[in-house]
Amino acid sequence: MNFKHKYIFLLPGLFVLLAILIFPIGFTVRLSLSSWDSFYPGLDFIGIDNYIRLFSDDPRFWEAFGRLAILSSVTVTLQYVLGFTLAHLVWKDIVFKRFFRVLFLIPMMTTPVIMTVLWRTIFHESLGPINDILSFFDVTPRWLSDETLALVTVMIVEVWQWTPFMFLLLLAGLLSLPKEPYLAAEIDGAGPFRKFVYVTFPLMAPISVGAIIIRLIEASKIMDTIFVMTSGGPGTSTETSSFYIFIKGLREFQMGYSAAMSFTYLVIMIISLTVIANILVKVFVKGN
Amino acid sequence: MKLTKLTAFLLGSVVLGGAAHADKWSDMFPHIKNSGDIPGECSYESMSKKDYSGRKLTINTHAVPVMGEPTALHAEQFAKLTGAEVNVIHTPAGDLYSKAMVPFQTGQAPYDIVFGFSQWISDWKQYLEPVPAKYVNMKQMQDVTKSHIDVASWDGTMYQFPIDGDRHYLKYRKDVIDNPEMQAKYKAETGKELRVPQTWKEYGEIATFFNGWDWDNDGELEYGSAEVMAKDNLMFAAFFSRSVAYAKNPRTPGGFFFDLETMEPQVNNPGFVEALTDWVEATKYVPPGGINFTLGDETMSFGGGQTLFSFSWDDAFVAAMEDGSPIKNKVGAAPLPGADKVWNRVTGEWDNEYNQAPYIVWGWASAVAKKSKNHDMAFDYLCFFSNDANHQADIAIGRFGVNPFRKSDFDPDLYVKNQGWDPEIANEYSRTLLDMEEKSKNRVFPLRTPGVAQFTSAVATGTSKALAGQLTPQEALDEVAAEWKKIIARVGEDKLREAYAVGVALEDNLE
Amino acid sequence: MFRFYGLLKYSFICIWSVYVIAPFMWAITTSFKDFNSVTGGATYIPWIDFEPTLDGWRQLLLSPSEGGVALVQPYLNSIMVTLLSSAISLVLGTLAAYSLSRFKFKAGFIKNSDITFFFISQRIMPPVVLSLPFFIMLGNLGLLDTLIGLTIVYIVLLLPIAVWIMVDFFNKIPVEIDETALIDGCNPVQAFFRVVLPNSIPGIIVASLFCIIFGWTDFFFAFILTFTEVQLLPVAVVALNSSITPWWSLSAAALISVAPLIIVAFVVERYLSKGNLSGALK
Repeated sequence: MNFKHKYIFLLPGLFVLLAILIFPIGFTVRLSLSSWDSFYPGLDFIGIDNYIRLFSDDPRFWEAFGRLAILSSVTVTLQYVLGFTLAHLVWKDIVFKRFFRVLFLIPMMTTPVIMTVLWRTIFHESLGPINDILSFFDVTPRWLSDETLALVTVMIVEVWQWTPFMFLLLLAGLLSLPKEPYLAAEIDGAGPFRKFVYVTFPLMAPISVGAIIIRLIEASKIMDTIFVMTSGGPGTSTETSSFYIFIKGLREFQMGYSAAMSFTYLVIMIISLTVIANILVKVFVKGN
Repeated sequence: MKLTKLTAFLLGSVVLGGAAHADKWSDMFPHIKNSGDIPGECSYESMSKKDYSGRKLTINTHAVPVMGEPTALHAEQFAKLTGAEVNVIHTPAGDLYSKAMVPFQTGQAPYDIVFGFSQWISDWKQYLEPVPAKYVNMKQMQDVTKSHIDVASWDGTMYQFPIDGDRHYLKYRKDVIDNPEMQAKYKAETGKELRVPQTWKEYGEIATFFNGWDWDNDGELEYGSAEVMAKDNLMFAAFFSRSVAYAKNPRTPGGFFFDLETMEPQVNNPGFVEALTDWVEATKYVPPGGINFTLGDETMSFGGGQTLFSFSWDDAFVAAMEDGSPIKNKVGAAPLPGADKVWNRVTGEWDNEYNQAPYIVWGWASAVAKKSKNHDMAFDYLCFFSNDANHQADIAIGRFGVNPFRKSDFDPDLYVKNQGWDPEIANEYSRTLLDMEEKSKNRVFPLRTPGVAQFTSAVATGTSKALAGQLTPQEALDEVAAEWKKIIARVGEDKLREAYAVGVALEDNLE
Repeated sequence: MFRFYGLLKYSFICIWSVYVIAPFMWAITTSFKDFNSVTGGATYIPWIDFEPTLDGWRQLLLSPSEGGVALVQPYLNSIMVTLLSSAISLVLGTLAAYSLSRFKFKAGFIKNSDITFFFISQRIMPPVVLSLPFFIMLGNLGLLDTLIGLTIVYIVLLLPIAVWIMVDFFNKIPVEIDETALIDGCNPVQAFFRVVLPNSIPGIIVASLFCIIFGWTDFFFAFILTFTEVQLLPVAVVALNSSITPWWSLSAAALISVAPLIIVAFVVERYLSKGNLSGALK
């Protein structure tokens, strides 16, 4: 391959991205070293005071991180399992295959903010349909007022919204699988279960890993759902990192501190994701 | 003879001309058809003489309909009268602050006029253009009640243009409280009188009694009270309303949220703790999901007939009194309950006497950006928005969110005629509000210091933890007080004291 | 045994379908309600449970001074910004992805996978914090409240997606195809355009889909960076969130904001089913 051609391909994209990003990222770092506030706007220099405060005096941030870990891992796992199941089910011929494929894609096409408002009305404990129906069985769960249930409700909405993401990627992957390994398995006398475990799953490993990582990145940023449904409540039981950063940043307008939090979050996420990616690769790919 | 005829003719034409004058504007603008144009410096007539053609005015306001709809409507009218181009942006309440502050702090001025909450004045005022004397001295401004002029001003300078008034007051179902059958039933089962509650404890008792059964025979269960408990940017006001009676002691001036001298936060003193204990108790008599009620939910709940009581802003009352509401003319207004004891922070003990105080709560405010290039147009717009004709029409339309703030607004006839209110209710409403505004001697002004958003956010976080049962009231408020101390350290104690003193002066020096 | 498995299969599909459709059914019926129909408790069937009105739908067309929220212009703006930024991101992203898949880069210790990771990691940053710097940046360039300004910011959001998906797809296309083209006398650029690209249409479809979705549904940046001239759909809809949440108009708005993407879903499904993926590889 010719030497200079590779740069013609890569550079336009890379250059554009860097050009647009360099100021915001740089500014954010600089911001985190200042105490920009609603009453002290401007870039003064306070060194790493914000970071010290974050690490020594802000348990709320770390609690939020813990919650985020739980929320993301549970929802992404559910989305993966359900997405894979659905993709597998509509992969080969079934009745109304194409209808179901389109149907299952739709939740992802909606604007999360708008749908979440709708979900809030659905889960409304006095006026919503779910509790109305459940009241026949004498059960009226406190979807949004109970600490643990609130987290579950958020998960329900997230799973609804983003399972199609996994579904689409995995279905596309399944549709592009070569036929040979299956023919070979047939000859070997493998049933559907063994075909899945020994042929499908391993072949889908690269896509699986990629999809999970991407979905983890997106899930960690979860904002709309929490913002609309619970505002981080009741108490702080559904407050995640991005929401806490949002409150400190745009509600309380402690911009400097919020920038420090974001940068810390970025670093932690990059480290965690790299570790998780390595683990996933080991489990999915090498394990076969 | 001839002279008389001539005089008659002249007189007749003057009268007709005058009447035709009022008709002309109300024909063009059906919004003011009830009153016609009322003369003044900012009336329709006066505005039509101004020529702003070729100029653009940009306004950031709340979503439709509360404040959003009247802003847009008056913008349209203003544009027609003056030839200006007026652009209105609608923003949800929680984001009004950031939408205005981000441009302000980065030196931009995309909006000529910003709408927001009046308590932000301390953070905003450096970016706002003070209201020129010309407007302050107008008749329509002189009609504004003293407390609303105070809310719009800082240390004597008016930074915000009064266009709305807000307050917290108690709302109750008259068809229950004034109902002889219910009164008898209540007396028989509890031995106490059923009446408008005078203390928060009484509020709680009555609400508990009426919680969870169908007392108005509509086939649905009803509950005791609808309150703003969702952890958002408004719930702290509900908490303060409950606290005022227990913690605002007329014998200890010099600070309610802080002790002015030491700047020691008071928010965890026994008065506030007692109020929070009451509030945690209230979670037992709110409807299902009540602990997550926003103002909108509260409005839908009380306004839809689901609860006996409610006590925050006007919205729920107005919704209840709309045409088509199943409880129209069945609700009443009263001052916030008081308490049988009030904390004395000087002696460190309770004063066991009845105490009541209104919380002159903040509300909608509008202001002109200092960096705007259209000060003249902007102030004219705001003046036009609140001119007599528009204002009278606006307060008659519940969903507009424009509530009384002028002395002349407290005329019960307005509500009886224009909105079909029952005269008794209109009288009670006007009297309650007027007493709070003009006659109260012991009152609390909203916290309006720098960093107010941080203080109130801390309160919201702490109190909602108590409501959720994560902490006891004392623990929760101790946490809030600790956070407040940190905020004071960041802002600077002296700077905060200076700002807080302005509010305290208003509370303590009353004519 | 098979019967049982078949039953299980279809039950699962049915349950999931109900889960997917339920919110939309609720939205449809709620969009015809008014204040009283909502506050009296949950209601379901028009005319039987409650009196339907067209208020919710009408509000979408009325201007704010009439109590509505004009959605037409924001709708068009959203379409324009989404398509433009997706297109640019796709072009730049596909090119970059191809080079990352085919060529070896080494600048010090930075390898291919690191560069790819750099692209992807742009998605990690929560929008909140980027809002202030972007605001300042666009403000200084005079691009606040413009379609161009918003498009530029969206490229940052969408380019990583395009890169990530296309790298995956290119990696699945065997290098033999490129080599065949080169042997036939093309240079790498021609090889790319004439041979590899046509084979990666499915990947491009999927990448475009994600770009369009993430662009169409963004709320945050549109919210902070626009004022009057340019309003995007999600912002306009959220602006309906007054102190009384109007369940009816929000439901109506939710339904119409989904509509165009349903068409996109159909298009995507067609390409998937046509098996364009496996065909070309043989």
